[in-house]
Amino acid sequence: MSRFNVGYLVGQGAKGLFRNGVLSVAAIAVLMACLVVLGSFSGLLYNININLDKIALLNEIVVIVDYDCDDAKVSEIEDTILALDNIESITFTSKEEALEQEKNRYGEYSDVLDLLDKDNPLPDIFRVRYASLAGVSTLVYELEHIDGVKKVSNRSDIASDIENVKNGVMRVFIGFLAVLFVVSVFIIINAIRATVQSRSKEITVMRYVGATNRFMMTPFWVEGILIGLFASILAFGIQWYLYNYIEVMISNGYKWLYIVPFADIYLKVLIAFVGIGVLTGLFGSLISLRKFSRK
Amino acid sequence: MIEFENVRMVYPNGTEALSDVSLKIDEGEFVFIVGASGAGKSTLLHLLLREEKATDGTIRVGDYDLSTIRNRKIPYYRRKLGVVFQDFKLFDHKTVYENVSFAMRAIGAPSSLIRVRVPAILKSVDLSAKYKSFPTELSGGEQQRVSFARAIANNPDIIIADEPTANIDPEMTFEMMNLLLKFNKLGKTVIVITHERGLVNYLKKRVITLDKGRIVDDTKGGLANESL
Repeated sequence: MSRFNVGYLVGQGAKGLFRNGVLSVAAIAVLMACLVVLGSFSGLLYNININLDKIALLNEIVVIVDYDCDDAKVSEIEDTILALDNIESITFTSKEEALEQEKNRYGEYSDVLDLLDKDNPLPDIFRVRYASLAGVSTLVYELEHIDGVKKVSNRSDIASDIENVKNGVMRVFIGFLAVLFVVSVFIIINAIRATVQSRSKEITVMRYVGATNRFMMTPFWVEGILIGLFASILAFGIQWYLYNYIEVMISNGYKWLYIVPFADIYLKVLIAFVGIGVLTGLFGSLISLRKFSRK
Repeated sequence: MIEFENVRMVYPNGTEALSDVSLKIDEGEFVFIVGASGAGKSTLLHLLLREEKATDGTIRVGDYDLSTIRNRKIPYYRRKLGVVFQDFKLFDHKTVYENVSFAMRAIGAPSSLIRVRVPAILKSVDLSAKYKSFPTELSGGEQQRVSFARAIANNPDIIIADEPTANIDPEMTFEMMNLLLKFNKLGKTVIVITHERGLVNYLKKRVITLDKGRIVDDTKGGLANESL
């Protein structure tokens, strides 16, 4: 393509956008909605992940050792635990340390626990942190079956519930998004087809005078790209407003939840929106021109 | 040179539009192709423009073999042709100047060349004074001259005029023919598809007559067949 025609072809593409005002606006609106939904769900999942990391303390299993175990046996249990998969770290708390911690907790009333010094009822325990939630049930099973272990207690249920919510959100998100993208591509295809129809005489003359397919199709590609570009810029503005609104709401009402500031992610969001918007617009153009380009 | 060799064209619905057509048109010739409706004139035009591919036989135009030409080469082949349409195919929203320059823009000609060439072409068809007019402000003859100007904008070797006088009044018909003759005198090939007997008889050029998809007459300096 000659460099002399770049401006001309981009101008023709922009004209096409205005020529089919209603269809173009519809295509931009649907694609914009699609991007806002994509951005909102992605933001939600991203923040769930961040908060899951923050509640990593829940990823802890307490292994209670049989009261009768001597130091050698406790050491053997520690070695066995360390040899298991999915172990991030373990911390040992002896029965004496546990009693001391309890006394500290009781503060000025700790005297009541002095009676227990001679006959400490507290067990030795291991606090085990696991690497991945996925293998927790196996790990718990293995821990329960170590000789000398009396009981295994874990809080993986809460982490698991959050993980389940995340997976559910993901499924709804993918389904919803797929439908929206199909609808927006369909509308873009029709917008471009309407332009092709309205320019059929021009296309015929161009073909007869020897215009290349690329020259004839570039304005339609430009039109698709512009639809994607406008949709992504509008979606970014809406996303910014929505995110900030939710950020303020959460930081005021749910202080225990952490939400990543939009300022930290705005560039990634903008690049993703423009990339996806432009590619979707271009994809719609290519599909609507498939038949035409074969001529 | 344009050469058709045993060309046969059958459409997907089974209609045989051309049967065993062989002809040669030399460079710089002026040829009328005549025939009644359904004789195969339009099919011949479509084959020449490589809008359709012949079912059998070979068609050669200059260095191009239209039976084997690759799709991406077709636009470059078409730049050797200039087409004058029966319905002019002018853009009502563009001025005369823009209509003519459109043909040059479509093949990526630089603006500097367009600015020099378009006024010269408009002068040659006597439309310099109307370069700012829109087609709806022109007479039928003037519109056809714009269509002709657009056809020669890219300096083609061959002009194909499809019923060029069908939509203009009789006095404009000869004006249009004069333009085609003028172009022919520059050594360019002119093919006129028509069913106007008076015009064909007046110019006494080569006449190829088609009937039911076959060439039934090919006379140099001749008259239109009585069946026309």
